[in-house]
Amino acid sequence: MTARVIAIAHKEAREFLRDPIYLGLAFIAPVVLMLLFGYGLTMDVKHLPIVFLDHDRTAYSRDYMDSFLHSEYFTPLGVAPNRKAANKLMRSGQARLVIDIPPDFTRLLSKQKPVQIGVTIDGSFPSRAQVMVGYVNGINRLYNSRLLSNYLSGLAHSGPVQAMPVNVNFSVWYNPSLESKNFIVPGMQVIVLMLFPAILGALLIVREREAGTIFNLIASPARRWEILAGKAVPYIFVAFLNYLITFAMSIFLFKVRFIGSFLFLSSAALLYSTCTIGIGLVFSVISRSQLVAMLVTFLATITPAFNYSGFIAPVASQDRVGQFVAHLIPATYFMDMVRGSYLKGLGFAFYWQDLVALAVYAIVIYALALIFFRKRID
Amino acid sequence: MWVRLGAMLRKEFNQLLHDYWILFILIYAFTGAIYVAGHAISMEIKNYPIAVLDFSQSSESRDLVARLQPPFFKLVTYARSDAALVKLLDSGKASLGLVIPPDFARQVQENRGKCQVISDGTLSMSATIAMAHVAQIAADYGIQMLEQQGQLTRTMLAQIPQVDARIRVAYNPNITSSWFTSLLELMNIITMISMLLSASAMVREKVYGTIEQLQVSPLHPAELFAAKIIPATVVILMLSVLSLFGVVKGIFNTPLHGSLFLFFTVTAIYILSIASLGIAIAVIAKNIAQVAMMMLLIMYPMLFLSGAFTPPESMAPWMHWASLLSPMRYYMDFGFQVLYKGNGIADVWYDVVGIVVIGSLLFTFSVWRFRQSIR
Repeated sequence: MTARVIAIAHKEAREFLRDPIYLGLAFIAPVVLMLLFGYGLTMDVKHLPIVFLDHDRTAYSRDYMDSFLHSEYFTPLGVAPNRKAANKLMRSGQARLVIDIPPDFTRLLSKQKPVQIGVTIDGSFPSRAQVMVGYVNGINRLYNSRLLSNYLSGLAHSGPVQAMPVNVNFSVWYNPSLESKNFIVPGMQVIVLMLFPAILGALLIVREREAGTIFNLIASPARRWEILAGKAVPYIFVAFLNYLITFAMSIFLFKVRFIGSFLFLSSAALLYSTCTIGIGLVFSVISRSQLVAMLVTFLATITPAFNYSGFIAPVASQDRVGQFVAHLIPATYFMDMVRGSYLKGLGFAFYWQDLVALAVYAIVIYALALIFFRKRID
Repeated sequence: MWVRLGAMLRKEFNQLLHDYWILFILIYAFTGAIYVAGHAISMEIKNYPIAVLDFSQSSESRDLVARLQPPFFKLVTYARSDAALVKLLDSGKASLGLVIPPDFARQVQENRGKCQVISDGTLSMSATIAMAHVAQIAADYGIQMLEQQGQLTRTMLAQIPQVDARIRVAYNPNITSSWFTSLLELMNIITMISMLLSASAMVREKVYGTIEQLQVSPLHPAELFAAKIIPATVVILMLSVLSLFGVVKGIFNTPLHGSLFLFFTVTAIYILSIASLGIAIAVIAKNIAQVAMMMLLIMYPMLFLSGAFTPPESMAPWMHWASLLSPMRYYMDFGFQVLYKGNGIADVWYDVVGIVVIGSLLFTFSVWRFRQSIR
């Protein structure tokens, strides 16, 4: 019985090796994706093009504008001559932020009165808009606290107010430098090991069905599970090789901090690859054509992997639909383990439950494939 | 020419529309998948999980903790010890830990209150935003304390010279992320399906060997490709209308400002352009497995360079230049400008030019390459 599994695996591996373009692409495409995202993806919201409308034109208003330019968050596009010009820059996407300083800015401030300024933020990218709101509030608060301390020092009984009642001391763990590559590169490994193996698996059975060669397998003495196992094993091996390549890239090329156990991460990756090949396999078994299998696999993997696995935002922040999808895909469990391995140095002892969860996932997914796979001609 | 093209078109339409599975999946892609994606959040902070280790147990500490509220924060639990807090952070159950020292209440009264925030820096962007929020909350709390202690009277507060930044977020006043994610997903789906349908329609002829019949027929390669592209374009365009009105606007209430006629016209051109890319892939590939891998190799970089992950102003120069090769970059820019901002053709003509030029080049390449393969 294992002999039959080995025979089918052997045949499958041969077919794979004899299509050098397919073979090459299966290894090149993940590397390209890692390179692109590793070097190109910046989550940092910086260098936002900002435009000012200065109706006041005094040293005060310039001082206020300067407070926006001391950081690397904003890149000045200059002072717009009028509202219309500023709107045009915003509409074309050249400016993301317009700050409108009213004509009585200096007059009101020198009379110790509050003054309103208008800030318009481009809401095209909601997540960035929210960050921009935070930046503006932060910079404005700094400016106000400067005004406040100037004001208080001008008062007689200012002594005790110099200090704020509550001071927060921040410390950052796991990724002290807050470098985004430390979460993007390991996260990309999870994504890559979901997208590519799923597609490899998706073509396994339906390809033979479309070509008609499935009859050879149906007519053979091999049992259903032997056929599925024999077909999946070589590709699990390919996915695992992809893991080793991307792991080496993360360490040697991207120089991501890795303080965990390689043995732990590798065993998790092996289980995870088994799951992702299995997801493809299920779609392959139920699909009538390769086109259907590919369509379903793309739909079932791309969006959930990027949006719901915790790649960019914590799973806890998602709403109910999001949480539900997150727990349906193995990427969410593996993402925890990958980040924990790389940045927190946690291993078997901490994550044994997640490992068990992945193992259960694998069993369920292959059981599904087995249930839907009929050795029958229809 | 029209007779030949007509006959071929009829065959292709039949093949596409008689596969109920495909139709079913396409309808899901343009409705269900977009509904699911519309619920995703990207990196804004919502329900950020926090744990509190409160050694003070005073009204002051409870006041502070009470301010860490939804929608930004979610108090997961109170930790009982250092070790418990570390465990919560390790497991990711909490992403931020607030430690309040035993003598916090007295410290606050003396204006030297100190507390400690431990932030899980794994997701560096969210961590940065969350810490900024905490700092703001602590400062607001401090000002309120000063007020209560009478060190700052109401009249004094009213006299403080202050700049009040009135922030207005244009095009999306409440920063509703589903407006963005649903439209983005629609564009992703259009791209993916256009490429996949045309590539598979073409490569299928190769796999079944029927390509040779087509090669010896009087069909010009351009007619053949047109017959492969047009049915997919028609179906995808109809589904896009359904999706835009039914899901993007219907369910998520995304306001659509610009000219819908302009949007759908350019969408049709874009689908033709991406379908040409699918044909180019199919002309090179020998079987569907190769098509799948080549699509992945091309599609993911396209999605990535579209400007949705990294907006144009944040792209490194190499990325900027590479993105100019991707039709999706132009389409994304076009779509958001027209539907979000209500811009007209005068603002987006260069996007249309980009889509047309790249599509035509790909189509011409496919014809040339296909002819080469006959010889």
